[in-house]
Amino acid sequence: MEYFLQNFPQQLVNGLETGSLYALIALGYTLIYGILEMLNFAHGDVFMVGGFLAAGVTALLVHGGVSFIPGSLLVLLMMAFAMGGTGILGVAIERVAYRPLRNANRLAPLITAIGVSLFLESVVQVFVSPAPVGLPTNAFVTQAVLRFGSVETPLTGVLLFAVSIFLMVALDLFVFRTRFGSAMRATAQDREAATFMGIDVDRVIMVTFFAASALAGMGGVLYGLRFATVNFFMGYLLGIKAFTAAVIGGIGNLRGAMLGGLLLGVLESLAGGFISTEFQDAFAFLALIVVLLIRPQGLFGQPLGDRA
Amino acid sequence: MGKGKFLVFGAIASLGLAACGGGGGNGGGGTTTAKPDKVQIAAEGPFTGDEASIGAGALQAIKLAVKDFNNKGGVHGTPVTLVPWDDQHSAQTAQTLQAQGISDPTVLGIVGPMNSGVVLGSIQGLQAASPPLPFVSESASNVKVTDSGNSVAHRVNARDDAQGPADGKFLIDQGAKKVEVMDARSDYSTALADATQKYLSDHNIPFQRDAAKAGQTDFSTIIQKVKSFGADWVYFADEGPETAPFVTQLKQAGLTIGQNINFLGTDGEEDPSIISKSQGAYDGAYATNITADPAGVSSAASYVTEFKNEYGADSISKAGPFYGSAYEATQVLLQAINNSPVKNGKISRNDVISHLASDTFSTIFGSVKFDAKGDVQGGGIYVYQAKGSDMVVVKQVSG
Repeated sequence: MEYFLQNFPQQLVNGLETGSLYALIALGYTLIYGILEMLNFAHGDVFMVGGFLAAGVTALLVHGGVSFIPGSLLVLLMMAFAMGGTGILGVAIERVAYRPLRNANRLAPLITAIGVSLFLESVVQVFVSPAPVGLPTNAFVTQAVLRFGSVETPLTGVLLFAVSIFLMVALDLFVFRTRFGSAMRATAQDREAATFMGIDVDRVIMVTFFAASALAGMGGVLYGLRFATVNFFMGYLLGIKAFTAAVIGGIGNLRGAMLGGLLLGVLESLAGGFISTEFQDAFAFLALIVVLLIRPQGLFGQPLGDRA
Repeated sequence: MGKGKFLVFGAIASLGLAACGGGGGNGGGGTTTAKPDKVQIAAEGPFTGDEASIGAGALQAIKLAVKDFNNKGGVHGTPVTLVPWDDQHSAQTAQTLQAQGISDPTVLGIVGPMNSGVVLGSIQGLQAASPPLPFVSESASNVKVTDSGNSVAHRVNARDDAQGPADGKFLIDQGAKKVEVMDARSDYSTALADATQKYLSDHNIPFQRDAAKAGQTDFSTIIQKVKSFGADWVYFADEGPETAPFVTQLKQAGLTIGQNINFLGTDGEEDPSIISKSQGAYDGAYATNITADPAGVSSAASYVTEFKNEYGADSISKAGPFYGSAYEATQVLLQAINNSPVKNGKISRNDVISHLASDTFSTIFGSVKFDAKGDVQGGGIYVYQAKGSDMVVVKQVSG
């Protein structure tokens, strides 16, 4: 018991950090599912591309000897570049791979999404690097470690958590408090009726993909800053976990995705820390099974479109 | 097309493809000659992918060995052709590549596969081929590789049941009081960590066992457990890719190697690129290797010079831990082929297998003879340490 109490705060903090990353990516899954009722399995790989864009920026600017750029500016550049790049990538994927299948049977976009996922992984593997790529984070991000009592976490970890929460809140405000957000929710509720209301559905979908992908791209940057490494395969497992988090929270529900992600991260961390690290991943999926058995619509199971 | 017609078409097509594949190697004359028409060997390993840091250097070594052998006349005058099979550390990819070689009777053997998991996943196919396709691995260490009784299996490196106790003994000799034993959930790392853990437990050293997984980058949970346990040594059996993020985060958590924690890694972690990938956090870490470093063995000194001449002055630092044993394994295989009789311009794999089993071979590390299982007697374990930007041999140990 004493072991539990001693280590609980630290493992909780670890879990919240990991969970905020899951939540950020889960939001993308849920946004796209809410609007189009399709699961974009390529979303995890958009996150991966974001990480590589960030790594590319650091490679150019740090190794290229442009050393007079202060660290914080470099980080902002990474974020802007990665978010913009992945946003455009997301829109392009939607336009090329999903839009033609918008009225096809439900299975077709799903299979296409898997194809896009494999395509992105292969492109990065072949044209960038099959081995993990390091980011020289020591050179531009402080490696300071924050300590509160017995709990400690690197500053980059706190950054990961804080920026994720900030973005989630911003997205929430955007979707629930703005006119365009209403248009998004209307499209999610009933796409055909939305067109009758004069909503440009194609544009709503494009913006949704941009936002979802930009969030994933930001996730990639934060990941690169925290762990100083990216590899072409990192989107796979994280994508599955984020998808799990979205389903646990209630697929299609924004707040569900955020809380689902945090919850999953904490659960994994506690299970790994107090039961077994070997089965850490298994606990995540066990949680999914339990939630689906007991409450199949997820914890907050109301779709994006309904007024909660 | 009706379902029935489709099935018939499919059957005919696959028969046709199989015939093409089988017929590919049957060129050549029927006259009795002491010179074989065509001799090929395959080099298999993770030449690209997450383990390219061990595979790329091994491939360089194998190419050099084939070149040297051909310069001395090849197999009775016929130069040996090398076919590289990049299995990318995947047993499935390996099986696809091996299938090409299995159906071509001029492919007489494989140098590799390098990873225990890949060997174990594909050995049945190699043994069941007719004739069976022998291999000489330069790095696969799981005991099951040769314990399984397959005549195709050979390796020039040491086994886990030698490396485990040797690692354990090193830890105890260094004064370890509490060891965190970690593996990465693979055929290689789990078996090795088990062997080391057993040695520690037999000698009453307290330990805590944890598992990472391939591709893991977030070690915060495990590191908290390490701190809570109060370990003074971390033993991480890993093939390499997970080590840099792990030691980076150890340092972030306040555990600096050489100051308040010590680190012992295994073969794949005897890799200078980890020092740069961890941005220096790896400095001072130890790693054991199941093969010798040619730079530390006098009989291999001329090989090291030759390697540098061929691939550049800094090629040794990028060649990974197996550039010596890969050359050694190729020498063994080529000599076994050379010793085998030539019948009608062809050499049979069965003869290669029997010569691998019975002959003594001379290599850059001295003479090599396989025991009944396919292991080499007297394999030593070498300890390296990360110093500056290189991995330096500090000791040789045995279990």
